[in-house]
Amino acid sequence: MSDDAADVQRVLSGDVDAYAKLVDRYYDRCARFAIRMLGNRDDAEDALQSTFLRAYRALGRYQERDRFSAWLYRILVNQCRSLAARRSHRERVFVREEALLLNAPDKRPAWSGEDEEFVQRVLNELDPLLREAFLLKYVEELSYEEMAALTGAGVSALKMRVKRACDKLRERWERIRDD
Amino acid sequence: MTESDPYVELIAREAKRAVAVDAMAVERVMARIREEPLPVRRPARWGWLVAPRSLPLSPLVGTALAAGLIGIGAFFGHYIDRGGRNRTGGPEAFADTNSPRSPSSDSVRVIKFVLIAPHAATVAVVGDFNNWDAQATPMTRTPTGGTWSVALKLPAGRHVYAFVVNGANGTSQWVADPTAPLAPEDGLGAPNSVVLVGGSAS
Repeated sequence: MSDDAADVQRVLSGDVDAYAKLVDRYYDRCARFAIRMLGNRDDAEDALQSTFLRAYRALGRYQERDRFSAWLYRILVNQCRSLAARRSHRERVFVREEALLLNAPDKRPAWSGEDEEFVQRVLNELDPLLREAFLLKYVEELSYEEMAALTGAGVSALKMRVKRACDKLRERWERIRDD
Repeated sequence: MTESDPYVELIAREAKRAVAVDAMAVERVMARIREEPLPVRRPARWGWLVAPRSLPLSPLVGTALAAGLIGIGAFFGHYIDRGGRNRTGGPEAFADTNSPRSPSSDSVRVIKFVLIAPHAATVAVVGDFNNWDAQATPMTRTPTGGTWSVALKLPAGRHVYAFVVNGANGTSQWVADPTAPLAPEDGLGAPNSVVLVGGSAS
């Protein structure tokens, strides 16, 4: 039995503190996805809180044949979507990014990747579905089959989203290079 | 990723960097968790469908489900009334909010979701009630054609949902219910609908 499965069993046996181990084990990784996906830490923490809360409430339905991480990630992806649906996220990101651009130092090379804000800004420029697919593929390094299980989208659709995301990033690269 | 995508590699590498997390974040999660009742292990999803002895249908619940079937007839009448519009348009969806209240609980009602998608390979309904899990609630195709349906018992309140239509060629599309109010734009490019259980969605 994996550590995850053992901890789930302990929780279901009444040991709530065992859930803290699961949260601790996955919080950072989930936080990275949520922040990259939602574009800011406040929204990300809300998504993480509701993800771990929903996972806890649904723990009795968790099947040990599934990987806990994949099961948790499916909830996280959906929570990020739901949170974006509840808030006019697009407008807020625009305002934040506009402010970021206005405050950016003039001499910083725009193509430098050595800057978390810059990376986040580039990611935010992607359509959310493309961003989600790109993050799951290249940051979380999931297979397309795993991504399909998480998102409910077909493998072909996901490959197309990843390709479009990469095309967008490449276009941006070429635009900067030619300037 | 190929070597011809240096910028993609750069963004992916930078995005993989660990993010700084508030040291108290896990504690905040656990504080909320400790307010919750202990989760209880439940039988496998759909297990009750394949195990007749586990079907806990009381006569009253049976009545509610039977009334849901009457709703199908009502739906078909509605469909015929609408004529070719539905047949020539995209997938057409209906959430029957008029299903009778399940007598098992005053706050739960049987809601029938129906979608016309003749060319779909599989269809599922996703929403806040199933954690947006596209595998959780598959819809069943009618023997005669491209109408898909599923009946769900939902608690009273506002529910946001959509349909996931999977094509035989591997495509997958989220579609909203054109006869129901749309949820506010979710920023993800996938439209959602709203059903208000215990009232009219508006």
